[in-house]
Amino acid sequence: MEDLFVNIARLLNSWLVSLGLSSWWADLILTVLQWTCIVIIITLNVLILIWLERKICGFIQQRLGPNRLGPYGFFQTVADTIKLLTKEDIIPSRTDRWIFMTAPMFFIIVAVMLYAVLPMGKDMTVVNLNVGLFYFISVGSLSTICLLMAGWGSNNKWSLLGAMRSVAQMISYEIPLAFSLLGVVMIAGSLNLSDIVVAQHKVWFIILQPVAFVTYFIAATAELNRGPFDMPEAEQELTAGAYTEYTGMRWALFFLAEYTNLVSVSALASTLFLGGWQGPILPSWLWIILKTYLVMLVFMWLKWTFPRIRMDHLMSFSWKVLIPVSLLNIVITGAGIDFFRWMGW
Amino acid sequence: MYGQGLFKGLGITFKHTFEKDITIQYPEQMPFLQERYRGCLAFDFSKCIACGLCTKACPNNVLSFESVKEEGAKKKKLLNYTIDLQYCLFCNLCVEICPTNTLYFTHNFELTQFKREDIKIVYHRPPELDLVTDKKEDASAVEVETENVNTTETDSKRLKQIEAMKTALGKNPAKTLGKLLESEEDIAIMSVLMAADEKKLVKIAEMMVDDKEKARKVAQAFVNKEKKDRSKEGGEQA
Repeated sequence: MEDLFVNIARLLNSWLVSLGLSSWWADLILTVLQWTCIVIIITLNVLILIWLERKICGFIQQRLGPNRLGPYGFFQTVADTIKLLTKEDIIPSRTDRWIFMTAPMFFIIVAVMLYAVLPMGKDMTVVNLNVGLFYFISVGSLSTICLLMAGWGSNNKWSLLGAMRSVAQMISYEIPLAFSLLGVVMIAGSLNLSDIVVAQHKVWFIILQPVAFVTYFIAATAELNRGPFDMPEAEQELTAGAYTEYTGMRWALFFLAEYTNLVSVSALASTLFLGGWQGPILPSWLWIILKTYLVMLVFMWLKWTFPRIRMDHLMSFSWKVLIPVSLLNIVITGAGIDFFRWMGW
Repeated sequence: MYGQGLFKGLGITFKHTFEKDITIQYPEQMPFLQERYRGCLAFDFSKCIACGLCTKACPNNVLSFESVKEEGAKKKKLLNYTIDLQYCLFCNLCVEICPTNTLYFTHNFELTQFKREDIKIVYHRPPELDLVTDKKEDASAVEVETENVNTTETDSKRLKQIEAMKTALGKNPAKTLGKLLESEEDIAIMSVLMAADEKKLVKIAEMMVDDKEKARKVAQAFVNKEKKDRSKEGGEQA
């Protein structure tokens, strides 16, 4: 079970080579297959996640949640997807057409790109990049531009306001996010995510870096435009923020990308702080799924507990609390590492 | 500590997650209605005496009826009764004022209709009300009923009296027994006997209510027997 997917990939590779293809072509075909798998998994996962989110929201508010379609209302999201697919695709007349149309596509592409470096099990990384974490942060920050594209292209005041807010918020929270990850990188001594997972075989980094974990969690919530930090799409004041003018499948792509980002951020949290794919008995790919879902459940719990924070509070919290705390964490971590080295450990 | 409220809130939502849901899935699951819930107003045609108090009490003119007084008849005859429910504010005034409890609230709250005319509830005089007019039958039935009522009433009255007598005998035997026995010595003996044996007390009480003369005789017999027994014992001892 442990090497199930790795063995499948190896078998496919040897089969392709035996067909007379050069190893370069075999690798290319395999990579395309891997990406297809990732996209399929993401799409199916989002169906589950939206259902789970609605169900948990219902339970927290002592409601039942969706319960009509299928067992426990499981097929509700499937029905919603079919509805969205068959909806009319409206493009308002005064929009910046190309920007408006391409924004959701870029958004989803950026979201999927993040999965390239995530280790989804032992030896299960699509691209084993030695600057994986750096890649993750830099690609992740691209989604800000996509939101700004959507807001600008819509030619609508709410869209633009929502986009401006999201840009301000996401840029502010990118800094504590990156800083909080630096502590982990300093201890592990590597930017490669697989190496960071291996470095946790004795003790998880959540124990060594609790402050970094909390900072990362808060910053990630803001990065995802979720939970108490969902200012960019604050329904009560901005209708739907940057998504106001979008309908049908274009809107669904934004939704898909948001949940995809949720999964990738949660997977990164479990990779960096919760020991990644390491765990007893169960195969590694199941461990990372379990941990990722646990983190996502906490994200949902936070979202349905806290009220939305005010915009100026949001900004001041980032600049006046999170950034100093994460900077201090780096200093203390560095001093601690030096101290233990001096002690001869 | 700063931020304590956040954890409190998380605790509350966590607790709620595992509590019982308050949702009632209405068409399949009916909500629990209190006994005095005011649902649709209903009307019992056979009870109505066409007094018109309800129509006067109603603040919105919801209620209306038609009645006739036939030649030589004592009572008015109700022909139909209309409840125009769309104006009803369920204030309970008509139900309260009705002298025969003809109007009452049901638990039916599903009052929607497709057409405005359907909201009106019209009760027509049921034909069986006119069929039961054979006066002899009616009268005998009433008589039988009153008889039954009388017997049951006397029965319960007697039981109550016996109960009262029992308590009187228990609490103050000398005074109560004074009505039956003459000499003070006999009264004292009887009261000791009754205190010793509950059955005797009940028997005397019952007889005092039903037949005082018999009670006197029985009580005297009890006393005489006791006197005899005592004198025997005294003789043996001597």
